[in-house]
Amino acid sequence: MANQFALEARKVNKHFGGVVAANNVDLKIEPGELRCIIGPNGAGKSTLFSLLCGIQRVDSGEIFIQGHDVTHMQPFKRVRHGIGLTFQTNRAYQELSVKHNLLVPNPSFAISKETHQQGRERYMLALEEFGLDQNDDTPASEIPHHTLQWLEISMVLAGFPELVLIDEPTAGMSRDETDHTSMVLKKLNQSGLTIIVVEHDMHFVKNVAQKVTVLHQGRVFTEGSLDEVIANDEVKNIYLGHAH
Amino acid sequence: MTSKILHLIGGDADIGTSKTFWIGFVIAVILFALYPTQVSEFRASNVSYYLLNIPLALGMALLWGYCGVLSFGHVAYFGIAGYTYGIIAGNMAGNSFGPIAGVLGGLLASALVAGIFAYFVFYSRVREWIIPILTLVLTLLLETFLGQTAGYQWRVGSVLLGGYNGMTGIPAFQIGSFVFMGYSFYYFCMVIVLACYVGLRMLLNSKFGQVVTAIREDPLRTEIFGYDIRARQWLVFVLSALLAAISGLLYVQWGNYITPSQVGLLSAALPVIWAAVGGRTSLLAVLIATIVLNWVTFTLSSQGNQYAMVIIGAALVITMLFFPRGIVIMLAEWIGKVTNRKNSGAAT
Repeated sequence: MANQFALEARKVNKHFGGVVAANNVDLKIEPGELRCIIGPNGAGKSTLFSLLCGIQRVDSGEIFIQGHDVTHMQPFKRVRHGIGLTFQTNRAYQELSVKHNLLVPNPSFAISKETHQQGRERYMLALEEFGLDQNDDTPASEIPHHTLQWLEISMVLAGFPELVLIDEPTAGMSRDETDHTSMVLKKLNQSGLTIIVVEHDMHFVKNVAQKVTVLHQGRVFTEGSLDEVIANDEVKNIYLGHAH
Repeated sequence: MTSKILHLIGGDADIGTSKTFWIGFVIAVILFALYPTQVSEFRASNVSYYLLNIPLALGMALLWGYCGVLSFGHVAYFGIAGYTYGIIAGNMAGNSFGPIAGVLGGLLASALVAGIFAYFVFYSRVREWIIPILTLVLTLLLETFLGQTAGYQWRVGSVLLGGYNGMTGIPAFQIGSFVFMGYSFYYFCMVIVLACYVGLRMLLNSKFGQVVTAIREDPLRTEIFGYDIRARQWLVFVLSALLAAISGLLYVQWGNYITPSQVGLLSAALPVIWAAVGGRTSLLAVLIATIVLNWVTFTLSSQGNQYAMVIIGAALVITMLFFPRGIVIMLAEWIGKVTNRKNSGAAT
């Protein structure tokens, strides 16, 4: 059945042995939204991304991408519905050149002519803002860490997705690099790209967030604007209390 | 169009992209082409043997070096093609189309077995480290089966499988009434090796090749770009099995016999060693190592030296300890560095 969400998770459950990684998670992302998902270590943020992309299968519940039921789809098929993912630990191809890295994603998987054009514009914007060159023969292993993060984001955009899941983009970045990353993501979002970011860095979250989802012990703890979430005493307790 | 093809051949999927390299390459090809005019048919035939192993070795480079999947049993496809050729061409002895039918049958049989095997391996997402064991088991099963086919009851048409003594009297290759033997077989091998090398370089420089290399580097990352990596691994496996089959066909056409030991443990290890010693991530490095190592073993064992395999084993150990990426690759990098330094020195 069709719905208007870019991404929707309904009552998603997943546990590993006795550990509950996702507990009745409901998530609705509107097209064009920039959502931040925060929560203490082990809250199930990265697991949620794995479940959304199909790297791990849900125990129960349903997942929709652009209205398509992808719950039982292989990861590569979900990608063809317009989703992209960067991993928590950078997974650009270290041994390959920047050029080769950027050549691997395939825009022909993107859905329509319209997304093709938009996709190309977003990809070019990312390359320009991140200062990456499509013909750079430097091995990825020789470029600085923050550029590697930017490279992986650019690689995902090279597939012309409609929706990207970005897992801790600014981990290990300096303040300036973090600010630049948030600025570029905001620009991409303004072009209509739907973005979901998992992030620990509250400075970054303050910079970009429109709406924030707090995960705790595999559950959606609360959801709302950043101010609402920060004002919530229980959030302070679980998140700031544990993490800092 | 032409420039696109040249770009595909000359791309950086393999070592050797400079003009100097290609001049050297052409000279090497000319020298190989002139070699038979200077030596006896017997010597040329020996070199044919080094050449005919190259497709098998290039298949190892493709599968292991570029796609990251180690098969320890690719000689199975070498053997299947050789035996199938022997059965078909042997039964059609006297018919000038027999050898061509045998070649087609051999390629088809190898591709079929490889296709079924690889389907189960890749589509059930078997863990990477189990694949070498499964492939080795397959080839050892084949050896065991063929080893007990002695006796008159094990015949297909008029051809005896022959147990451990193997299949004998396998016809040479022929097109029409022209039979490839001695000098002509040498050139036949050379053309096939050249076609395999250039063809693979083009494949690996194409988009398909770039994705295959990405699968080696990180299968999951590549799948999350939307690629069905199972389909690509399957295709690469079957392609490399076909290359092994080409070597198997040339082998039986060259020696007119094949024994089960060709698919045994020792034979199974050899292509892996050629690829490792040369440097599995380069087609050219593997090609060179295959010629050199085959020359060493062939020369030593034809002099009655018992230590050929010990020396090959030692080459592998030395490679793993001191040249982990392969002797030829690391040598090529060193030459590249030295010439670069000279060039920049001359410029200043």
